[in-house]
Amino acid sequence: MTECKRDIDCRGAVQKLWDYLDHELTPERMDEVRRHLERCGNCLPHHEYGRVFLAALASARQADARAPDALRRRVMDSLRAAGLST
Amino acid sequence: MDDRDRAGGQPAPSPAAGTNEEDGRLVPQMTASAETAREDDLRFEAEALPYIDDVYRFALSLTRDAADADDVVQETFLRAYRSWHTFQPGSDARRWLFTITRNVFLRSRERERRHVDLEDGDLEALSSFVAATDQGRDGSDQILSRIDLAPALRRALNELDEPFKSAVVLVDLEDQSYEAASEILGVPIGTVRSRLFRGRRILQEKLMTYARDAGFTTAQRGQRGSKDD
Repeated sequence: MTECKRDIDCRGAVQKLWDYLDHELTPERMDEVRRHLERCGNCLPHHEYGRVFLAALASARQADARAPDALRRRVMDSLRAAGLST
Repeated sequence: MDDRDRAGGQPAPSPAAGTNEEDGRLVPQMTASAETAREDDLRFEAEALPYIDDVYRFALSLTRDAADADDVVQETFLRAYRSWHTFQPGSDARRWLFTITRNVFLRSRERERRHVDLEDGDLEALSSFVAATDQGRDGSDQILSRIDLAPALRRALNELDEPFKSAVVLVDLEDQSYEAASEILGVPIGTVRSRLFRGRRILQEKLMTYARDAGFTTAQRGQRGSKDD
């Protein structure tokens, strides 16, 4: 792992990077990491790598995937057999 | 159990009570019960069924097989309907359905299920980015933005074992928060984090293998490919 002579610890920043990219840190922690990234040329590539990776992963989501009509009918049939009255 | 035991000493209505004209009170009681059931059905149809596409997509992500996904979806809605009375009105129906979906999926994969205990999310986070650092030194990080990774990622996701797959699918594909994933998976948030980070690291390793195989590697700069072998 790379080291940085800045006043914010690189190890701590890198440990929080996924949480930072996922927006799962408190606002204070988010600011802390963001400020570190702004100043640390060593950690910024890690952030960019994670950001691009997550964007690629999100693109793998089959957003247009819809339940086929046959499945909808099958689900409704089984629900009615179980007592659904509508 | 004696019928009287169920209602504080009062006799419980028999199935035929609603037709007993000697006790006029029971007829509206049964009608009200039927009305309540119908209202529950209407609520189920309005609040749960609209998420069938979401459930299908989640099931497809987990199973990576259309026929298996169909089975999971059908079983999910059947279970959801049967336990609709446990659903808290006003809470997140999609999240509730995802919980059932994953349970149905796990049940269907029980024999293949692998139990992995990973609790140290910080270590996972660190090791993941350390791996990324090493790859970055080779310029491999730039590969991520140069090639269409979606097919490779889908294949890598398909190969990803539980419990990592569910965590990655929920957070990275279905955009659920750690808290929501924790609720759906029935594990602490720390466990979600460790599973998520480990899953991402495995995916990254698979992607780098894919990139090398596809000729995008910069292995000539140091032959670092052997680290993933």
